[in-house]
Amino acid sequence: MATNAVATEVRAASQAPPRRKRKHGGFTPWLFALPALLVYVVFLVYPAFSSLFFSFTDWDGLSPTYNIVGVDNYTAMIHDEVVIQAAINNVIWTVVTIAVPVVLGLTLAVILNGKVRGKPVLRMLFYTPGVMPLVAVASIWGWLYNPDHGAVNEFLRLIGLDSLAQPWLGQNSTALAAVMVPAIWLRTGFPMLLYLAALQGIPYDQYEAATMDGATRWQQFWHITMPNLKSAHYIVLALSLIDSFKVFDLIYATTYGGPGSATQVMGTWMYFNVFQYYQAGYGTAIAVVITLVAIAVGIPYVRSQTKEHES
Amino acid sequence: MTGSTYSRRRFLGVSGLAVAGAGLAACTGASNDSSGGGSDSGSGSKTLRLFSYEGNETLPLLKAQVAKFDQQNGTTTTVDTLPGSGAAVYPDKLRTELLGGSGPDVWRIWGGQIGAPYAKAKQAADLAPYYAKYGWESKIGQLAVAGMTFDGVKSGVPIVVAGIGAWYNKALFAKAKVTEPKSYAELEQVNDKLVAAGITPLGTGGKYGWHIMRLYEYLLETAAGPELHDKLLTGAENWDRPEVVTAFTNFKKWQDKKWIPEGALALDPADIEPAYVQGKTAYTITGSWTEVSAIQAAKKSSSDFGTFQFPTDQSRLRHSGFVEGYMVNAKSGNKEKAAALIDFLVQPATVKELGITNSPVAGAEPDKAKLPLSYQWTEINKSSPFYTIQDQAFPKQQADQYFAVQSELLQGKMDPAAAAKRMQEIVSAWAKKQ
Repeated sequence: MATNAVATEVRAASQAPPRRKRKHGGFTPWLFALPALLVYVVFLVYPAFSSLFFSFTDWDGLSPTYNIVGVDNYTAMIHDEVVIQAAINNVIWTVVTIAVPVVLGLTLAVILNGKVRGKPVLRMLFYTPGVMPLVAVASIWGWLYNPDHGAVNEFLRLIGLDSLAQPWLGQNSTALAAVMVPAIWLRTGFPMLLYLAALQGIPYDQYEAATMDGATRWQQFWHITMPNLKSAHYIVLALSLIDSFKVFDLIYATTYGGPGSATQVMGTWMYFNVFQYYQAGYGTAIAVVITLVAIAVGIPYVRSQTKEHES
Repeated sequence: MTGSTYSRRRFLGVSGLAVAGAGLAACTGASNDSSGGGSDSGSGSKTLRLFSYEGNETLPLLKAQVAKFDQQNGTTTTVDTLPGSGAAVYPDKLRTELLGGSGPDVWRIWGGQIGAPYAKAKQAADLAPYYAKYGWESKIGQLAVAGMTFDGVKSGVPIVVAGIGAWYNKALFAKAKVTEPKSYAELEQVNDKLVAAGITPLGTGGKYGWHIMRLYEYLLETAAGPELHDKLLTGAENWDRPEVVTAFTNFKKWQDKKWIPEGALALDPADIEPAYVQGKTAYTITGSWTEVSAIQAAKKSSSDFGTFQFPTDQSRLRHSGFVEGYMVNAKSGNKEKAAALIDFLVQPATVKELGITNSPVAGAEPDKAKLPLSYQWTEINKSSPFYTIQDQAFPKQQADQYFAVQSELLQGKMDPAAAAKRMQEIVSAWAKKQ
């Protein structure tokens, strides 16, 4: 009886004139989003498209006139040795400044999650470098690396390793690695905090059960801790990746891209071209490439977040 | 309930429209701003903005003189400064301000290839009418005026003609039992004796490139001589030649024999240049501003220091040098007052109050009693011409490439002959673009 009534209703509905469907709330959500959307369009979309346009010009960044040069700026990048060097440096930087801080951060979080004295002080100590201004950090490490009287070389000489004392920032072979050290120092605190929060959310009874079953601490780490940190891993890796890709200020303030162009990354090389070499067209072409790569890298994160939200 | 929803929607709608309206109004307002620059100084306005790179030692002097000008003219002038990195960062900020439409009315800038882009892009006003009005041509040295003239347009008013030479610590020279060298060979002997006495001879740093480049340009002047050196800088002669190779060979020698600090390539000039005053190095390559900004700022007596031209062994002894001056924003709404401010700043009395030790203005020579070493350079400049300092002889990109070659050479990644060849590639590529 009930089935018949529903069937009749469905039939009636199908025979009735079509009604306008309100998809996703119609105009109202747009109205809510309008203020933020305006800001987004004015300060992000418009400049982005403007930059895209200038990447097809030979604008010097100062004159009122310019010529359209097609894709010349993009083809020039292929022959630019510094672009190749900068891209390689970006890859090295990204791999090292993600892997090392994440491993260190996780290790510190696991240690601090146990029974350790002075936890709040240690947490603050490890996180403090992350809130310091990068220019101040660059100055501090510049002094530490001073080849003559810097603390790094002084320490090496003190312990009898004079042969290892060297101009860390003044030679191609060590400059990039030397700049990565403060980057690691700065960035270890952030994953540590995220992992620590995630670790505190793991139910303790899982460890108790595992202990009862005779699991070692190493087995507990791999089979309980790591699976429970899955979502934390994702956030840490995604944010670290974005952070690594944006590298500019630490290199600019520490080595100025040198010696020569040994520590140039795409961000600094874009800046040099736009602001120092009066090649705004070419510089914006580099910026466009950086943006495209960043978008490509960010897509998996956005998709995973969208899926998570929908589920 | 319905009523409440309706009114909230209505409120949000009205709010949204108001925000949109405000945003559009702001855009419209921006596009209607025809002045596009200056310190909101429309015609007849009494406000000016001056942008400079004065350091903490000389900024108060400049502000005091600007205040005096304001008092006499009924103006309000803001002084902004960005010291610290030489010509490495300052031009970027200036350029960004000019493009952002809020550029200063007056700015200080170096000559040569650093100031040229502002003139070529017509961001800097043609000051010919003001040269005529204030008679600057007759008051300021012609060589200096030429340094602020680009493609025949007088785009700036020179305030400094700086000669670069050796500034040394007398106590350290005495300790090593050396005196001022008269030939390049003697200079090398001086360096050897200083090293033997445990003293680093030349305090120079390669961060930003331009400071250590002063050493190379001196070695090039010594090896190539004035005529060839000038032709090399304009691309009129090939760099792939024995004289250039000799200069690169000597450059490497200065590092290998520890005549410059260990790891000099990474040192910041702001840290290492004043080291001769602190007694950490024997001498440096710099200009006479160091007497005020390093020696006297450290409360030391000028009599404890000395200065000399680097010997080049050439019949015509030259030193490195450059020009600095003021430019006026072509879009300034108050060019008349801006020019009046510059005229005030180049008055001999003002120059002396500003502590400028190397002014091209007649009658503004430094006081021999107060600034004896700077005065010495005023005398040197009368008899000895200068060649353009190399970070101003080339555009920034080529200067950076030039420094990259020097860096590779000092690290042993390139030999002197390869460095000369690479320089020829850089300069010829640039010359073709001209």
